[in-house]
Amino acid sequence: MTAIENAMAKIDIDPALFERAPFDAANAERTGYERYSYWRSTMRTFLKSPVSRFLLVLMLVLTLFSFIYPLLSSLDPNVVSLDLATWNQRPGKGHGIFGTDPLGRDIWARTWYGTRTSLTLAFVIAFFDVGIGMIAGALWGYVKKLDRIMTEIYNVLTNIPQTVFLVLLAYILRPGFWTIVLAMCATGWIGVARFVRNKVITLRDSEFNVASRCLGTPLKRIISMNILPHIVSLVIMQIALTVPYSIGAEVFLGFIGLGLPVKTVSLGNLINLGKNNFLLYPYQLAWPTLVLSAVTISFYIVGNKFADASDPRNHV
Amino acid sequence: MKYEVPVLDPAPVSTGSVLLEADNMEIQFNLRGRTLTAVRKASLQLRAGETLAIVGESGSGKSVFAKSFLGMLDRNGRISGGTALYRGVNLAALKTEQQWLAIRGRRIAMVFQDPMTALNPLKPVGEQIREAAALHRTMDKEASRLVALEMLERVGISEPERRYKQYPHEFSGGMRQRAVIATAIACGPEILVCDEPTTALDVTIQAQILELIKNLQRDMGMSVLFITHDLGVVAKMADRIAVMYAGQVVEEGMADEIFYDARHPYTWALLASLPQLGIKGEDLFAISGTPPSLFRTIKGDAFAPRNPLALKVDFEYEPPFFQVSPTHRAKTWLLDPRAPKVEMPETVKRLRQKLKDKKAEDIAASGTGKAKARKETSR
Amino acid sequence: MLYQRLLLPLILFSGARMKAYIVKRFFESLLTVFFVVVAVFMLLRFMPTDGYFDRDDYTEMSEAARNAYLRTLGLTDNPLVQLGRFVVNLAQGDWGRSITVYPRTSISEILLEKIPYSLSFGLSAISISIVLGLLMGILMAQYKDGIVDGVGTAYVVLVRAIPSLIYLFLIQIWVTKLLGWPMLFNERNPVSWILPAISLALPNIAWYAIWLRRFMVDEENKDYIKFAVSKGVPRRTIMFKHVLRNAAVPLVQYLPSQILLTVGGSLIIESIYSIPGLGGLLVYAIRQQDNPLVQALVLIFSVLGIFGVFMGDVLMVLVDPRIKLGKAAKSGGHA
Repeated sequence: MTAIENAMAKIDIDPALFERAPFDAANAERTGYERYSYWRSTMRTFLKSPVSRFLLVLMLVLTLFSFIYPLLSSLDPNVVSLDLATWNQRPGKGHGIFGTDPLGRDIWARTWYGTRTSLTLAFVIAFFDVGIGMIAGALWGYVKKLDRIMTEIYNVLTNIPQTVFLVLLAYILRPGFWTIVLAMCATGWIGVARFVRNKVITLRDSEFNVASRCLGTPLKRIISMNILPHIVSLVIMQIALTVPYSIGAEVFLGFIGLGLPVKTVSLGNLINLGKNNFLLYPYQLAWPTLVLSAVTISFYIVGNKFADASDPRNHV
Repeated sequence: MKYEVPVLDPAPVSTGSVLLEADNMEIQFNLRGRTLTAVRKASLQLRAGETLAIVGESGSGKSVFAKSFLGMLDRNGRISGGTALYRGVNLAALKTEQQWLAIRGRRIAMVFQDPMTALNPLKPVGEQIREAAALHRTMDKEASRLVALEMLERVGISEPERRYKQYPHEFSGGMRQRAVIATAIACGPEILVCDEPTTALDVTIQAQILELIKNLQRDMGMSVLFITHDLGVVAKMADRIAVMYAGQVVEEGMADEIFYDARHPYTWALLASLPQLGIKGEDLFAISGTPPSLFRTIKGDAFAPRNPLALKVDFEYEPPFFQVSPTHRAKTWLLDPRAPKVEMPETVKRLRQKLKDKKAEDIAASGTGKAKARKETSR
Repeated sequence: MLYQRLLLPLILFSGARMKAYIVKRFFESLLTVFFVVVAVFMLLRFMPTDGYFDRDDYTEMSEAARNAYLRTLGLTDNPLVQLGRFVVNLAQGDWGRSITVYPRTSISEILLEKIPYSLSFGLSAISISIVLGLLMGILMAQYKDGIVDGVGTAYVVLVRAIPSLIYLFLIQIWVTKLLGWPMLFNERNPVSWILPAISLALPNIAWYAIWLRRFMVDEENKDYIKFAVSKGVPRRTIMFKHVLRNAAVPLVQYLPSQILLTVGGSLIIESIYSIPGLGGLLVYAIRQQDNPLVQALVLIFSVLGIFGVFMGDVLMVLVDPRIKLGKAAKSGGHA
């Protein structure tokens, strides 16, 4: 160690350098800065994993395809064929990519129409859950007087088992698209509201917000930098995680007989119909199941990974 | 690959000889895809039986440096260069937990900064101390319990039997830190690393804890590595001082040498920043600027941009260590024979004078016991 | 009743403040039960009245006859009066009579017959899921980011993302074929007990595993763990004595409600395996539109859920020494 140091002292350094240097105050401040962008870090953390990347693409492809397919294809998923020869046909050889069901309907077309229906259901539920939940949660967080009542409501609503409640509402209001929406939203919104309320409380009282206000940061900036990121994360997470949940509920209700009307083409109905013929014609259950699983798994994992990524503690 | 358990040299190290020697250590972290070099070729010597204080501002790398001696860097960190020799073992080369178990607690123990979070909230305090005691000795449960009780007494916690069964939240802040210290020394370590142990405490409690550490060091024959940003604390505790800036040790020496005869402009700046040196009516001195970003390689002297006394060479070449005395060295071009003579700033001279005056007072009053009282009330 | 027997020792062996808290939570739970009873009752009253008639009867009876019948059932009275009557009856153990499923049979009789089946499957599923789930959670946390963690996570994803009907159904088909086991439940054949019990446990295993792992990972990052490491405590000891023990505290709050709620799964399992339990009964009652029966079953399941949450809160207070009871304790443990 000493040897190196001594050697350094002997290096030929221009003696002129041993003069006093002018002091630049601006220079002193400049070098300490580190820019941090919440969104960039979130996306970076999220996209770091190859699984996330793959499933994100899969998720988008499946969603887009299910919505575009009806526009591209001429196959009608509802048309019942009277020709016995077209009933229960295995996939391939002019009988459709996924085969036909006991009424001669093309399963490939039904799967994609069904996916579209199921996804629409999920998105509608997510929309209302987040919409109502956010407003309720924001009020709950800001208006202190509401806290007592809302907490009681929260306790009551979460005490009731979700499945039972779902079944009950579907039973009373008779099965249908909007019944399911209502049933799922009725218990779903409170979860979102609670999440938002917690965030509002921490943000409202957080020192960095107080500091921002003291510094005179305009409200618009406070909202966009401190509050909006949390909300957008919440919305994305909620949508992604609602999909597997609503599809599951739909399948379950269909099994009990309280699902969407049999005429509606949905993944839930396809599964319930397909399982009846499973031993004879396994493909009728297998293919829709595959697509359904791809959809739910990709949304589920993407939703969870995104939730993890949007937590700033993971931005390392 | 099988990693060998390190075999430590068991020979006793006499007081004053080097116990732990860190040489050109470099520690890096992966942060958001970029590499941060927190410690840039820092060197240090800890001698047996002494208290070495590492002083520096936040971000100087002092905590990271000390943690590396216990293998406790965060998961995204690694030692990328240098050695840390302790009893013949290079701590920087240890990789597996098995290897570290021979060192942690038993040889080198650590006192954490925040006593609130350092203790397990769901376990009685006494049990946590007992755990430490039992780990490093073969003894039955009752024997280790007695050791734990003894430790509680040693750190000044009254009614140890009652306190043993209590939970951390039933202790006050100062008592918690005493409990943490008790846990650390229950391992019977040779080196005690204290990472800003008084920063989270009231000023009144600070003095007590510092006193405690000093006494324990003396009674148990430990060497203490004390990390702090507070020069006042250093004045009470340290035998030797190492000043760190931007990941490097820039000046090292005996306590007296640093306070009376500092040579590095950064040390001057630190000393000048002591609010006690302020003159009524004048602005307090503060170092302008901010420490440099450690994501980039730094050219020359890291302190140069903030140093009004900098030379042009400071921006070009990194200065080597220059020996001021056998025990005192500083890493600044100002000590190079080719550099112009630069006097230490007025403020620091004032400090020197104040310290000299106080020492004279203490000597004069030493017979009457007033010295002890005065020592208590200063700082 | 069962929960009185469970509560008694708790009340006897705890301190005064604990007792006060337990009693307070109990009454709050009762309040929730009451809300649920009222809500369920009211909701059901909004249904079209054809649910009270046997299909044949409905078409054959005249309008007047139907109204007369409804009057005898007390369904044309003021809803509040009906509610009052309902609650009084409930307190006496009279749950009404089934209409379409087991015509004119007392519901309490039906329930008593079915409960043992659901209970035994429920309990077996609980034991299996706790043991396997916690074990899996510990392994996943200990070997975080390793193969075990990967496999465990894959299992959890499959079980949580794919609707349970699908994998439960496929398991029934394939496993029975593979092992030659009977597909339907038969009381007298012990082998037919195994698969339904295991299947019932599957979602819960995933649930316990992922939550325990999450809590353990959270604990691992805390300062006191780092301090323990610096003392020289080996990782294994830290995992069990510190991390697991501390992670169990938040987990304990949720355990009981999960235990009591293998409902969704039980509806499906009891149906596909033809187990004569409460879940299967509910499915059938819905299909047959037997209102009183649906009402009774919904109530039972709700009460189970509420009771589970109550137990969880009490357990949490018992296990966490930091919680101070008394004036500082707010209502409920959730908000």
